[in-house]
Amino acid sequence: MTRSQAAAATVDPPPADAGPQPERAPDRDRRARNRLHRVEHRWALLFIAPPVIGFLLFTLYPIGFAVYTSLTSWNGLGPMRFVGLDNYVALVQDEYFRKSLWNTFFYMIGIPIGLVLSLLLAIALNRRIPGRTAFRTIYYVPVISSLAAIAIVWQFAYNGDFGLINQVLGWFGINGPDWLQNTATVKPAIILMAIWKGLGYSMLLYLAAIQSVPASLYEAASLDGANAYQKFRSITLPMVRPVTFFLVVTNIIAGAQIFTEINIMTPTGGPEFSSASVVWYIVRKAFKYQQMGYATAMAIVLGILVLVITLIQFRLNRRNSFSIE
Amino acid sequence: MKSRTRLITGAVATAMVGALALTACSGGGGGGEDDGGDKTITFMFRGGTDEKAAYQAAIDRYTEDTGVKVNMIVTDADQYATKLQAAVAGNNVPDVFYIEQASLQSYVASGVLMDITDQVAESGLDLDNIWEYGVDSYRFNGTVQGTPDGALYGLPKDVGPFSFGYNKTMLEDAGIELPDKDTPLTWEEFVDICKKLTTDTDGDGAVDQWGTGLNVQWNLQSMVWSNGGDWTNEDHTQVTVDTPEFAEALQKFADLTNIDKVTPSASDAATLDTYQRWMAGEIGFFPVGPWDVSVYNDLDFDYDLIPWPTVGDAGSATWIGSLGIGVSATTEHPQDAVNLVTYLSGDPEAQQTLVDANIQIPNLIDVAQDWAAEEGAEPANRQEFLDIVQDYGRAMPAAFTYGAEWYDELWTNIQPVLDGKQTAADYLAETQPKMQTLLDESISNAEQAGGGA
Repeated sequence: MTRSQAAAATVDPPPADAGPQPERAPDRDRRARNRLHRVEHRWALLFIAPPVIGFLLFTLYPIGFAVYTSLTSWNGLGPMRFVGLDNYVALVQDEYFRKSLWNTFFYMIGIPIGLVLSLLLAIALNRRIPGRTAFRTIYYVPVISSLAAIAIVWQFAYNGDFGLINQVLGWFGINGPDWLQNTATVKPAIILMAIWKGLGYSMLLYLAAIQSVPASLYEAASLDGANAYQKFRSITLPMVRPVTFFLVVTNIIAGAQIFTEINIMTPTGGPEFSSASVVWYIVRKAFKYQQMGYATAMAIVLGILVLVITLIQFRLNRRNSFSIE
Repeated sequence: MKSRTRLITGAVATAMVGALALTACSGGGGGGEDDGGDKTITFMFRGGTDEKAAYQAAIDRYTEDTGVKVNMIVTDADQYATKLQAAVAGNNVPDVFYIEQASLQSYVASGVLMDITDQVAESGLDLDNIWEYGVDSYRFNGTVQGTPDGALYGLPKDVGPFSFGYNKTMLEDAGIELPDKDTPLTWEEFVDICKKLTTDTDGDGAVDQWGTGLNVQWNLQSMVWSNGGDWTNEDHTQVTVDTPEFAEALQKFADLTNIDKVTPSASDAATLDTYQRWMAGEIGFFPVGPWDVSVYNDLDFDYDLIPWPTVGDAGSATWIGSLGIGVSATTEHPQDAVNLVTYLSGDPEAQQTLVDANIQIPNLIDVAQDWAAEEGAEPANRQEFLDIVQDYGRAMPAAFTYGAEWYDELWTNIQPVLDGKQTAADYLAETQPKMQTLLDESISNAEQAGGGA
């Protein structure tokens, strides 16, 4: 059954001869059932209460509070003063906000690179090579390590004078730049680190997806004379597409929130604000300069942007989705 | 039926446990509870391992003497502001906590800090024996901070005179006459010595010893002030970075790298490199703060303190940092909280504990003078630290303004100047209006916060 047929079936009205309709049931019967329903209702309410209360308390209330905060001038400590859309107007004119937004999206260049690398890696580590468990573990180690610790290690590696990277480049007679102090190299440097950090996680998901592809598909393709590339193109790639979609969506959401790497590796936002991300700027405004209202307005704009991008992705994915007849 | 009842009972029990957990969470604040006369106050501060250990020792003695328990909350330096603000927002302000000079006004305006003028007066603490600069930093009269007439909203944890030092061993090896400890070097003399020190010592063709390696964000103040320039006018309303004196100082800073070539890498704005190089004995002149002494005393070479070299004829100049200790306006134990503040800031024994840990200079003037005169002390010229506090040190440009955003703006786009791609004068002319806008905003924010409180 295709998807459209399934959808049609559920929408169809029940057949006319489906027995007595509830409306026509005798009064006594209905009362009894209602009483039973009422009891069950009460229990049902009790059961659904914790998540609903949790949602109201920890999700809806903070969102409402944030929206209100974004309309005020507030230092995060004292009384709030309602200023309407002033914060949003100021935001549009804020050069640093534009710059940090641009930087944040620039960092996302790393997402497709990371996905391609991790897919290739997953394919490689899916083969029977010696020591593959060790390799899988090694690639996964960055994922479970503390991001702050990793950022500090990479900061040393990128150091212009002492750093590991420039020392290695030095062997080949290349005089490497001061990676994190240079407007041209700071973003690529951070992207490289983020790709390295995320590789193991994506690889693991791809590995699982690849292993769940039915072997019969590959056998059939072999009988038809398909070569390795054709098998990859027409079987592996489409079969891992749900994983790709999941990774793209979650990576973009996480990428929009990039903060720790930036804050540790370039605590001043980099030369000429060249590495500052939106969240980094929000934190700076909120806690260093005590402009909580303005910072919240930025957070809300960022939230809306992420929501829109995610909706677009879901829309695109729906068009691309396929089904097995 | 029976199993269903059990199921429901279980569910209700689970729900109740959940509800209890929730209430337990929200009730976890408050701080000191009076159970059986056992008082506990919370003290939130920041610092590294050395500081934590020193404070632990000082506070243990406080508890011994007074019977008041102190619950310490320590954070890293960069997390402190965030955590404190979260605590304030959650109505869970620690009884006693560190406060930065630049945040004092907003904490006062928002009613978070308690006015402790009277309690300190009653405590018998001799304020005249504590550095005037330190005490005045936490005085605020509603409009001006840092003057002797304001109410007291905290006491100094310390004062941090940012001094200048040189590698004595290196200068002696190079046969250079050691700089005088009382007369500052002129800029020409300083650059001249730096040039002599910048050499290739092992003959491999690469320079591996440098005259100096400074950081614009922490060292420019001294150069600008000694040249007669400043960041703002006297009452902090007008940004004055677009003056010839300021531009000359900044240009000379950049020239150290680009023209004189007496510093390590060209694009280096972070101190990390030069700090490491100084400690490795590859740098001649380097700043020394009291907080550096415990580390520097373990280095393989001798070093000593001198006044900062002067760019112009306004005399040697540098800044003094300070961190204060304040009391929450909502504390349940105001008396004990103030006692802890006066103890940490002014008790001779507590001070001795902190000074012995080499993390600060003494807060008490008489203790400090004995400390500076100590035989065989390292660095030998400890007196320089005291001279800075008493004679020629100044507050950071943004210490007494409402927030420091206007001040940070200067550093954001400064890299092209340091790289020699833009002249200091051009850059400062471009940046002054942006800084002025931010300072104007901060002044109007201060007025609003003051009016709303």
